[in-house]
Amino acid sequence: MIDFLQNTLDGLAAGSSYALLALGFTLIFGVLRRANLSYGPAIMFGAYAATWASLNFQMGLILLFAVTVAATVLAGAYVERLCFAPHRRGTAITAMVASFALWMQFEELATLVLPRHLYAFPALYAGEPLTVGPLTLRVEAMVMMLVAIVACAALWFMLFRTRFGAAVRAVIDNPVAAGLAGISVPAISVRIFALASAIGGVTGFLIVSAQEQVTPMLGMWSTLKGMLAMMLGGLGSLPGAVVGGLALGLLEAHSQWYLGPQLRDFLAYFVLFVLLALRAPWMNTRSAS
Amino acid sequence: MLAVRDLVTAYGKIEALKGVSLEVAPGSITCLLGPNGAGKTTLMLTIAGVLRPRSGRIELDGKDIAGQQPDVIVSRGVALVPENRLVFPSMTVLENLQAGAYQRKDDFAPDIERVLERFPRLRERATQLGGTLSGGEQQMLAVGRALMSRPRLLLMDEPSLGLAPLVVEEIFRTIAELHRDGTTIFLVEQNAHMALKVAQRFYLMEQGRVTFSGDPGSLAEDEVIRRAYLGTARV
Repeated sequence: MIDFLQNTLDGLAAGSSYALLALGFTLIFGVLRRANLSYGPAIMFGAYAATWASLNFQMGLILLFAVTVAATVLAGAYVERLCFAPHRRGTAITAMVASFALWMQFEELATLVLPRHLYAFPALYAGEPLTVGPLTLRVEAMVMMLVAIVACAALWFMLFRTRFGAAVRAVIDNPVAAGLAGISVPAISVRIFALASAIGGVTGFLIVSAQEQVTPMLGMWSTLKGMLAMMLGGLGSLPGAVVGGLALGLLEAHSQWYLGPQLRDFLAYFVLFVLLALRAPWMNTRSAS
Repeated sequence: MLAVRDLVTAYGKIEALKGVSLEVAPGSITCLLGPNGAGKTTLMLTIAGVLRPRSGRIELDGKDIAGQQPDVIVSRGVALVPENRLVFPSMTVLENLQAGAYQRKDDFAPDIERVLERFPRLRERATQLGGTLSGGEQQMLAVGRALMSRPRLLLMDEPSLGLAPLVVEEIFRTIAELHRDGTTIFLVEQNAHMALKVAQRFYLMEQGRVTFSGDPGSLAEDEVIRRAYLGTARV
């Protein structure tokens, strides 16, 4: 029972980071109707920029946080300008393939500047974990959950209580109708891209400062986890992204405990496969028009 | 007010508009009739900026607006009630109306009140989601949303499509009222009988070209209807 509770807690912590990644993916996917494969690599770029800064300058955590977020947003802007702005009227596949090309660019650039496979990253919290009875509470994990909760609340407020948010929902509902209502779809898209990149930067910083290390694999890892969580939650739904992220975290934590690490990733993909094959009602399994 | 000159719009290699020219006089109701596939919706979407023309001009008060983004066209005082309404399904009726006023910086609450007065059914459904409305209610909402930008020129693409006769009458009553209040209206319609009753001028379109223009008395109504539904090519 204690193990089950501990695994659930760990799963929710990991799931919070997946939920944040999935939120970023979903914001971009909902507004632009395009998958941004470079979302994870842009986060990796941000983390590498901070790693490079910490290796060359004396920097506190707050400054490193700022560098990570700023560099991720910068990388996101680069992706938006090169992959998404020129293909706004083109097909979704063009933008996706272009974003894959930039993924390779980011990875090559990262390994060019910092060629070792693994670099240490300053820890978010260096002290002992807290214990509540038999349960262990890692401070980094709790920060991650807290940030996820705050991010969800802030996003909800933005979407449902501001004029900008209403325009974003209008674009998500129907971009053509939004344009006809006088909403500038390109302007909304750029801002949402920046917002999603900022969320990615925050999440990336929390992930690498919790793991206390950075590798070039962070890019692929973030894209895979974020897209998997987004798809589990039903592709394009923001609440779905949160639920999908938490579900993925719980699934991984429990399957790691009961089945071992080899089967952990397999199970997540297997569940996605089964849900898609059974056309789970919350998933957009109708063919795109 | 609006003058379209030699407008060509294409989907890939297929030209849906093959050099369309027509005019909409200020303060008028101008109607565009024609069979399915004639290019009427393509013309509306091109004027509204959703589609980019390959060549030709769209002059609004003498200035070319062809190829501008839809939000720019709205800021110039043109609003389109699109075919199939396109209301925002996951937003409430009120939010749909507010979205129509997105560019306005002034207080638009009186305009919302006016729309709700015009369409009392929308007031009853004010907090309901757009996607839950009936077809007629969605059409009223689409018209109301377009009015929220206070357009000088209102484009309407088949506002009566698929609606019950009573609702069609309500929509046409609204068109007549808007016209009386000074809005210029450019209307695409399948319902030639209703359209010819309100219009001062009409155009017939077939296969991407304008084939006839005149005032409603210039051609017998059954001849207009025959051409509007069947085209001249089949005679």
